[in-house]
Amino acid sequence: MRYAWLGCLLLCRLLVAAPQDADVNVNTRYTVESVILSGQGWTTNLRSETTDKISLGLRHQLVALIGQKLNPAGLDSLAANLKKELSAREVTHRVVRGQNPEEVRVEFEVKPAKVSADLNLDQFVYDSKQGWSGSGAAGLTAGQHSFSLGLVSDGDWLDERYAGFRARYEDKRLLSDRISFRFQVESYHDQWNSSTLAELAARPGLTSEAYRARQNFQPSVTIALAKPLTLEVGTRMERFENEDPAAGTVASDALITTLRFHRRLEDSDSQQDLDADCSLHAATRALGSDFVYSMRTAGVRYQFHRGKHVVTDNAWTGMILGRAPLSDRFVMGNTYYLRGWNKYELDPLGGNRAVHNSVEYRYGPLQVFYDAGAIWDAGQQATPRQSLGVGLRESAFSLAVAFPVRSGHIEPILMMGILP
Amino acid sequence: MSEPSRGSQISRRSWLLAGLVAPLFRARAADSLAVTFDGDNLHIASPGLHFLIGKPLQRLTGGGTVVYLGRLTLFRDPFVTPFRRTDARFVVSYDIWGEDKFSVTVPEPIPRTVLLPASAAEAWCIENLAINASGLPPDRPFWLLLDLRTVPRKDLSQVLGDSGISIKNFFIEFFSRQPGTDDPQWTRPAGPLRLADLVRTPGRGKIG
Repeated sequence: MRYAWLGCLLLCRLLVAAPQDADVNVNTRYTVESVILSGQGWTTNLRSETTDKISLGLRHQLVALIGQKLNPAGLDSLAANLKKELSAREVTHRVVRGQNPEEVRVEFEVKPAKVSADLNLDQFVYDSKQGWSGSGAAGLTAGQHSFSLGLVSDGDWLDERYAGFRARYEDKRLLSDRISFRFQVESYHDQWNSSTLAELAARPGLTSEAYRARQNFQPSVTIALAKPLTLEVGTRMERFENEDPAAGTVASDALITTLRFHRRLEDSDSQQDLDADCSLHAATRALGSDFVYSMRTAGVRYQFHRGKHVVTDNAWTGMILGRAPLSDRFVMGNTYYLRGWNKYELDPLGGNRAVHNSVEYRYGPLQVFYDAGAIWDAGQQATPRQSLGVGLRESAFSLAVAFPVRSGHIEPILMMGILP
Repeated sequence: MSEPSRGSQISRRSWLLAGLVAPLFRARAADSLAVTFDGDNLHIASPGLHFLIGKPLQRLTGGGTVVYLGRLTLFRDPFVTPFRRTDARFVVSYDIWGEDKFSVTVPEPIPRTVLLPASAAEAWCIENLAINASGLPPDRPFWLLLDLRTVPRKDLSQVLGDSGISIKNFFIEFFSRQPGTDDPQWTRPAGPLRLADLVRTPGRGKIG
């Protein structure tokens, strides 16, 4: 009996033991009406809006607060996660009265780092046909200004292997929050595949001569027309140094405009992203260009995300009218378009017409994809091609084997690395 | 059996130490503690002491929780050798929808919570810091020192919800470290005092 009483006393002691924060903060009886996330020049009410600034997981955690009783202790860890994800100097939070009695609003304020430096590996990929390609950059951000300097060696994206540096300055708020300014400088040395050189000799006048180096200066302004719609306007001034130094340089100066649209729809357990863009590059003699051409491209990308399932469809098409330099012509058979095909086999000079569609399904890290497309030159017959692939993808890390679908032998291509 | 009294003799060394220590509290001299005795315990009051201010207040009005740790130390010489001490923690929050009221919870020994305006909440915390005076001869001088600090945010998880040995260990570790620049500290001295000279109040039970 004595032990029973002792047990009761211990139980009572446990029941009246020091309360958790959830019990001792007087505001825990109030319901969270909304969660506001704000930073320098931006505010998002997570009750009615979404934001791409933070990850889906963290956004779900913040949205989950709405409608629940306030838990002040949990706000500290959410603020810490926000600080980490946004690389902010500080994230503070406060609770204020909501619009209705007994309801409160949780406000997180993000104070950006005064100066931050980062080192990024943008791309590092191995293709069993084209070898290694990689690019990385060191960046410095001070308030709205950012500057980056990177090194590139790429044998994947174009028909040339180019290596050099890329520097970029960006002012994210030029006069207004809706306007940003960017100036990019690139300087590369080029190497050519023998099949490209042979094709150049066979088809003179189709495009530029092979060049040993090229530089690009590209100032542009991006205007947020409406929240999901942006317009980029700028110029692209390229200089090509001929293989023969005596031949001097040729210029390709073009006006560039790109219209982009992004829309995200999400509910409690799924997310849909729709991206669309169309662009026009116009190079004319009026700008002092040696090449006269116009390039139009358009693309639509749709992604559906639910749990571990991700389905993506990416459609893209492009057309060049006139004579564009080699670096501006379309290329397929790389790690983005018609994966599994050899680009030098498809068209060693690239093409001025292209159409492509890629469907991809992912379950966790497992990935399967189907690419279909065609690349050709005006006046030629377009030949549709397809490829299939399987692999593993986790975040930016990818390992895939792609097979071109064709009669005869199967020659798979292995691709692995870090993809954007 | 209580320790035999050595009369009201204070050594010259103690007075010398008192002379050295006293200037430390000079700035606070005007706010020194008012001490009463209920026959068992010493109770303190400090109407001029306001700790619901500055950054802690900012945190509170932003809906957060602030934990204050209080320590009352009894000395039988001028602030040199602690004779007895008592610790308490006060968990404070500000009622967002209330009429400028603060909720104060004292988790030990039995959790008690009050909802009061700022100055009343401050007074209530100080009232709860009583110390047992047993073994203190009525005619021997003694000194009291109040030390009140806020717990930094990073340590909140250790003091919210914990009880027993772990919180006692936290008190020991917390009061042995120097407060950070962002962690305010309030100290108030009192003494020399004698039990025989103190205002007697009705007994309020055994504390400390």
